[in-house]
Amino acid sequence: MEKEKTLYSAIPMRTWRWLGVNGAYVPAGVVPADGNDVPAGADRQWSVAQGAVRTETVVYRTEQAGRVTIDVAPGAKLHYTQVQLLPADKGHVDSLEINVAEGAEARVTIAELGAAETVSKVTINLAGDGAVGDLAAIYLGNGSRKVDLNYVIRQAGRRTKADMQVRGALKDCSEKIFRGTLDFLRGSKGSVGREREEVVLLNEGVRNRSVPLMLSGEDDVDGHHAVSVGKMDQEKLFYITSRGLDLSEAQRLVVEASFNPVLERVEDTALRAEIEQYIEERISDGK
Amino acid sequence: MADTLLEIKGLHAGVADKEILKGLDLTVRKGEVHVILGPNGSGKSTLMNVIMGHPKYTVSGGSIAFEGGDITALPTFERARKGLFLSFQTPEEIPGITVENMLRTARQAITGKRERIFAFRKELKATMEELQMDPSYAERYLNVGFSGGEKKRNEILQLLMLKPKLALLDETDSGLDVDAVQIVSNGVRTFHNEDNACLIITHNTRILDKLKVDKVHVLLGGRIVEEGGPELVGVINREGFTHLQQKA
Amino acid sequence: MEDVTRKKTYVEDIERSLYDIRNEDRSLYKSAKGLTEAVVRDISQRKGDPDWMLQKRLESLKIYNELSMPSWGPDLSPLRMDDIVTYVRPDAKMTGNWKEVPAEIKDTFDRLGIPEAEKTSLAGVGAQYDSEVVYHSVQKELADQGVIYTDFETAVREYPDLVKEYFMTLIPPTAHKFAALHGAVWSGGSFVYVPEGVHVDIPLQSYFRLNAAGAGQFEHTLIICEKGSSLHFIEGCSAPKYNVTNLHAGAVELFVKEGARLRYSTIENWSRNMMNLNTKRALVDKDGVIEWVSGSFGSHVSCLYPTSVLRGENAKCEFTGVTFASKGQDLDTGASALLLAPHTSANINTRTISKAGGKATYRSAVKVAPAAKGAKCLVNCESLMLDDRSRSDTLPVMDIQAADVEVGHEAKIGRISDEAIFYLTSRGIDEKEAQAMIVRGFVEPISKALPVEYAVEMNNLINLELEGTMG
Repeated sequence: MEKEKTLYSAIPMRTWRWLGVNGAYVPAGVVPADGNDVPAGADRQWSVAQGAVRTETVVYRTEQAGRVTIDVAPGAKLHYTQVQLLPADKGHVDSLEINVAEGAEARVTIAELGAAETVSKVTINLAGDGAVGDLAAIYLGNGSRKVDLNYVIRQAGRRTKADMQVRGALKDCSEKIFRGTLDFLRGSKGSVGREREEVVLLNEGVRNRSVPLMLSGEDDVDGHHAVSVGKMDQEKLFYITSRGLDLSEAQRLVVEASFNPVLERVEDTALRAEIEQYIEERISDGK
Repeated sequence: MADTLLEIKGLHAGVADKEILKGLDLTVRKGEVHVILGPNGSGKSTLMNVIMGHPKYTVSGGSIAFEGGDITALPTFERARKGLFLSFQTPEEIPGITVENMLRTARQAITGKRERIFAFRKELKATMEELQMDPSYAERYLNVGFSGGEKKRNEILQLLMLKPKLALLDETDSGLDVDAVQIVSNGVRTFHNEDNACLIITHNTRILDKLKVDKVHVLLGGRIVEEGGPELVGVINREGFTHLQQKA
Repeated sequence: MEDVTRKKTYVEDIERSLYDIRNEDRSLYKSAKGLTEAVVRDISQRKGDPDWMLQKRLESLKIYNELSMPSWGPDLSPLRMDDIVTYVRPDAKMTGNWKEVPAEIKDTFDRLGIPEAEKTSLAGVGAQYDSEVVYHSVQKELADQGVIYTDFETAVREYPDLVKEYFMTLIPPTAHKFAALHGAVWSGGSFVYVPEGVHVDIPLQSYFRLNAAGAGQFEHTLIICEKGSSLHFIEGCSAPKYNVTNLHAGAVELFVKEGARLRYSTIENWSRNMMNLNTKRALVDKDGVIEWVSGSFGSHVSCLYPTSVLRGENAKCEFTGVTFASKGQDLDTGASALLLAPHTSANINTRTISKAGGKATYRSAVKVAPAAKGAKCLVNCESLMLDDRSRSDTLPVMDIQAADVEVGHEAKIGRISDEAIFYLTSRGIDEKEAQAMIVRGFVEPISKALPVEYAVEMNNLINLELEGTMG
């Protein structure tokens, strides 16, 4: 499988090679890193008209490479939800690019839950003045799952607002890389960017790599990022188990509690129930 | 008049394209205590900031004079050096600069004289005791990790140490418990004498208990709509501002 | 010190005439340009290397020629290794007496304020002039305690077993191209050995500088702190200005044994044409502590990421760093920590400032190995930008392979707030001083960690840097 892999998603600024975080590689021919080839499976190009509000949901359930591109016109609002629920033995590659014009807003909610190996990239361009990008994501690693995420919010317009909130849980011998970038371009005066990642490690044997980048060519900005990685709060765990729940049930509760602020953004109640069910199964079976 | 400290004439000021102060006159003389009352958003804090020369605000008309000299276009630090002092409603937290360092630097800047470390430290410690402040706060970073009450006390400490001619107190008593208000108001009383003056914004008349108030101004919609003696405080306390709305 | 500071005047970006005093090049010997086996053998022979050292150099050269240039980080294209004269021997013999230092060299040191440090009886001064140590003294009481503090050539000669055991083991020539280069052509540097249980109360200082055109400086620092000992070592650098790209590829290897404590402080102020590709690593055993204090102000390009390898249980690392990138500078700095054993902890705290088109990058790696149960790591980096022509980038990587850990990372970026300036100016402080106070306050965590005379020097450096933008 190692042969013939091509660079699919690259970190905006390279670092030491031994860390293995500079790029994500996928089998040759899946999706070129920067090209116009339409991959197999879902490929969507949408736009949200000036001043309009549009809600879209993409659910990946079968093996495919998906690419979504959305233009949000001035003053428009986008609510976009993307959920990946592939079977545990499949591979998945996806790409999401959103361009946000002046005064427009993109509210993006992502749940990366399934597949054996996921490579996902998200780019939100806050191109216009006052553009808002609000990205919240959850990911779950269990079994020997590998998750590779590369999220970038580029702040080009003046007074843009970016918020990137990522919550994850890793279990068994799963591995994950999350690269989250806030990129303040020169001229993005008055812009604010926030990024935080919280990772819960449920047992020994997992590997977590977090790479929070903050790049700035503009002084009149306010940027902040924070990452916290640790095991489950032992007091919390004790409290729950003292009420008669077993370890995996307790873990599920704690993980759900961590995911809830993101899950609450999923407006489709049937889909949300499906996600919760999926998380429950993956945490309990360990595969 | 020789003892006039502050003289504001026809002042128009605001931020960007929004005018907040719409023609305001105010004169404060040595030895006086003035109180400004007004509902939220009436322009009270703007007035304080404009007197102190906050770069965010633009003066579009009128003038501000201090001791007979026009200061309308003067940079903030020069106003401070002339003897103006603003006690901030929400004092800035500035990491890395200790209270003592800032105060000594400021006093040297104002007096133009070198402060001797030990004499200064002694005076600072005595003043902090007066305000019931823990002396260790002198070594702490400016307002960083201070509670609301501690920040306000720190403002009064600066007032007492820098000895300005005119103190602008912007809700120095807000958010404080009864004891803290007492300490702050004692501090203001210690400061006040025949040669200086106070201009006070407050929602809490307790701070005024120990001060002899000379004039009360009611600010509404960027204008002074009513003026009177200390009795006006009681009137506003009982009746609020609604009966004055039509004057705005 | 005060006189020196006052004489500095502002020209262009910052007038460095006092630091950038260039003496007439009177070196006895310059090696042939470019790096060949003949050059390396020549260096080795002139140094009187024992055979094992020659072999080490040749092995390093081989690796150097095999390794490629880094694929990340600042632009290193100004480097033309073929033009770099790697070895320059100043016209002075080793001396332990200040009176014997040649007048011209002495004058340069005088203007840098080095004898003052000596006069105030601060432990030993090991000053490196070009590639050779010309002045070195160790106070008698240190020698009586069994502390060895000497230049590196002397160490190779007099303590061959110690040097052989540790030299280039923590930074092997395979680490990267410039480590290999260092292994091949190293020259000069310091060697410190602190015996078990000995506490060195006064900081040991070393001050070195580059002088000849196109000369690289490859000094090697090796410090061994035996069990339960403690030491504070201060390294300061200031190099004269020259129009040919200068390269600095030193190596610092620190060995902190069980329960020992080592603080390693550096204020680097290389002239603005220097390529500073320095490698620093510490290996810390059980209950040992390494503390880094690092200030980067000078050079054209810097790549500097002191790395702490915490291999013993409960070993600790504290890193405090400040980087100030101004016009024409690309300063890529940070710190790395490898937590390999249970209950190890790392605390990394940095401040970066960029102005006048300068580029400051914080780059780091924190790795927690599967064995490091109960490990803790906290990283905090704050960046201050003084104008919109500059850049500030933050690129930390955390690789966590144990679950029972607490890892936190926080970074902030922004400029001086108008409100803070208004607050200070409302107290009568003028705007320029208010800005300077805030910047000094911003780097306070670093100046606090320095001995007072270095903190003063750092503040002076900051004030000089600020005069550029805020006048």
